[in-house]
Amino acid sequence: MTPDVAARLARIVGERRVLVRAGELRAYESDGLPGYQQRPSLAVFPGTRDEVVEVVRLLAELGLPFVARGAGTGLSGGALADDVVLLGLHRLTRIVEIDAENARAVVEPGVVNAKLTLAASAYGLHYAPDPSSQTACTIGGNVAENAGGPHCLKYGVTLDHVVSVTALLPSGEIVVLGNDDGEQRGYDLLGAFIGSEGCFGVALDVTVSLARDPQAVRTLLADFSSVDAAAHAVSGIIAAGIVPAALEMMDTAAIQAVEASIYAAGYPTDAAAILLIELDGAAAGIDDDAARVEQLCRSAGARNVRSASDAAERARLWQGRKKAFGAMGRISPHLVVQDAVVPRTKLPAVLAEIQAIGQRHGVNVCNVFHAGDGNLHPNIGYDSSDPVQAKQVHDAMTEVMAACIAAGGTITGEHGVGLDKLPYMDELFTPATLGAMCALRAVFDPARRANPGKVVPVHSCREWHGAPAARASA
Amino acid sequence: MARRARGAGERVSAITSTADVAARLADARARRTPLRIAGAGTWLDAGRPCGPAERVNLDALRGIVEYEPGDLTLTARAGTSLAEIERVTAGHGQWLPLDAFGDVGGTLGATVATASSGPLATAFGTPRNQVLGCEVVTGAGEVIRVGGRVVKNVAGFDVTRLMTGAWGTLGVITEVSVRLRAKPAVDETIAVPLPPDGAAHAQRWLRASPLPAMAAELVSPALAKRLGIAAPNAPVLLLRFGGNETFVRAARHAVTALGDSLPAPATVWSALRGVDGGGTCTFRLSGAPARLAELWTATTRVIQDAGALAHATVSRGVIRCVLPAMPDDALRTLLGALPPATRIMERAPASCWDPQPADRATASLADGVRRVFDPDGLLNPGILGIT
Repeated sequence: MTPDVAARLARIVGERRVLVRAGELRAYESDGLPGYQQRPSLAVFPGTRDEVVEVVRLLAELGLPFVARGAGTGLSGGALADDVVLLGLHRLTRIVEIDAENARAVVEPGVVNAKLTLAASAYGLHYAPDPSSQTACTIGGNVAENAGGPHCLKYGVTLDHVVSVTALLPSGEIVVLGNDDGEQRGYDLLGAFIGSEGCFGVALDVTVSLARDPQAVRTLLADFSSVDAAAHAVSGIIAAGIVPAALEMMDTAAIQAVEASIYAAGYPTDAAAILLIELDGAAAGIDDDAARVEQLCRSAGARNVRSASDAAERARLWQGRKKAFGAMGRISPHLVVQDAVVPRTKLPAVLAEIQAIGQRHGVNVCNVFHAGDGNLHPNIGYDSSDPVQAKQVHDAMTEVMAACIAAGGTITGEHGVGLDKLPYMDELFTPATLGAMCALRAVFDPARRANPGKVVPVHSCREWHGAPAARASA
Repeated sequence: MARRARGAGERVSAITSTADVAARLADARARRTPLRIAGAGTWLDAGRPCGPAERVNLDALRGIVEYEPGDLTLTARAGTSLAEIERVTAGHGQWLPLDAFGDVGGTLGATVATASSGPLATAFGTPRNQVLGCEVVTGAGEVIRVGGRVVKNVAGFDVTRLMTGAWGTLGVITEVSVRLRAKPAVDETIAVPLPPDGAAHAQRWLRASPLPAMAAELVSPALAKRLGIAAPNAPVLLLRFGGNETFVRAARHAVTALGDSLPAPATVWSALRGVDGGGTCTFRLSGAPARLAELWTATTRVIQDAGALAHATVSRGVIRCVLPAMPDDALRTLLGALPPATRIMERAPASCWDPQPADRATASLADGVRRVFDPDGLLNPGILGIT
């Protein structure tokens, strides 16, 4: 990167907000995915919407590729910038408006997920998608990844909660995607933008819908002497037609890590698996559903089922779950958290297969995941600087992914493809499908400068027999 | 391909597989002949501004491909009717809560292609929120499979969302996977007559109620009468509650705060879906949800003397108007007098069709998307009314 580029960017954002020295850039060499380090050519941190627009337009003028980054909590390597410009958006933290009448909020991309819920709580509202990283991750990043979280079982993922986005295309052009009215006409360009992992542009502002705080909440903890029994309980609850707000599973390794940490939640450490089941909604009828869930757990073999007696106990039970990855991270230098989804009836079989894969490769696979959605997060603690361990983990995870695909599932439910899942895209999609995705990307970013090399393998981009990629009137 | 009789000028092969669709599209490309893609064909007379084209009927491309009740997901070929899906899933106490307007003989593919929904969207959303993935033959002749069959999936760019509501202009949907729900133990509908200016009050009540309804539809006095609800010339709020017995009992009790309820016939929702004003125009208006009461008042003022039927999905801020037969010029005058809002035509004479306004940048993106998936512009040309 020439000093001239840094100087021109500094004229927009101020010198302090452009990082060029290796030491300064070190913090931006990785995101939540261990085992990958990539150094950006420089990092630029605009502080206002106008600055973002100016920066992106300058990068367009210079033909420079860039990677947008929120809080850098992503788990698929999507925010890694390999010798290209890193565009940090975490300074755009303004909650522009909370519209209680319409139960909506307009936010800048750098607003932290949990801070939005905190601001909305004054109106009895909250932002429903709640990734485990919600105290750090940003709404812009959530939109890029179509983020989920435990409560997405009942309330849906980011896609279901975004009303409209003002997007800045990599060319520097501004477009409004979606519609603040009840319905929209034409193609669902907003739907295409959400989850596009920073390849289609940058969100300048996001209008989200807010959910009403439920009148009543019941949080149950069920413990089992086998993972298989817990998995069958999950299938039983789903099949019975009860839609819990969240239905999470943790296995013994995860339980013990949490209980040995400052996040100890009072989980039974001798359990093979626990289910954390939350029901919410109207007070009327909630205890009937809770009783039904308890009975379903017991008939699947639960040793014990208890209900959080108050808000403090509920918060404690949840903290153990949400900080589980942090707790496990204490145990080993690195923790790889995988993300895959299987049909819910396949959970018992796939969990058994994952254990067998782990044993075959000599790695200890733990499970902390959104069981109600069939969204697995097998994770392995290891030392990524040890090539032997790194290879064992890589081989085991490759087999886990293959098992999930074979079960009729998918390679990512909420973390995105990023860099980490690129090798599996060919397993999941045909060349024609990947080619169509490449061509779609080129509509939003004809020069393919935004988050280059992510999501769709580059080699698949030659397979498409459709139209030339360029936009008609761009 | 099975052969069957068709009208003069139509190609005669019935389409029963994805390969048939691909062959049909390849043939059309070779002949540079535009195609009109149809499901059961129940909306073909809606007057959409689609250029002359050969019709491709997908109603023989039907059947459930995969249904595992424990997963609450279902995959079906595009020509499978909503009625068939309802029948199959009901056997397991489940349903696809997608009550799009029109005939229940309508197909899954057409419902998704048009992103059609009905009152149940209040609780369950629109096809955008329910479709998990699909198989599509693009206008470029490629068979692609996007999304998947599991309930959470962010693998790759979301082409599924683009196909949903694209009206077949990007490709022919041949197979769809959807999320199902368990049917509630109790499913009860309550009709509450409101004072003439009761829309705002009903909206406030709904917003404050801790007992969420599966559907909350505001119905004009004329439509209430048509639906067999004995309301004395008043708008009626139709509420549908689903849940366990305790929940529904509490909801029934809570509704008394809104007014005295009337018995609603069990058939009221299917009657509402199929309501026909005898005319050639049906449209929807929407604004931000909080505008609903104001939009309802302004809209009913314009349409009531014309004898129109109106209903509104309160939480979504969407009003639907079904007009009786009237001369085109009277219809144009009526449409011109409507309050400003997003307007979507369902059915209209060609001369009254709305052009689609879009800002230049968005239109350019939409055009680029279209060129990627249908480079020769062969699929349903003009049907979106984009000018």
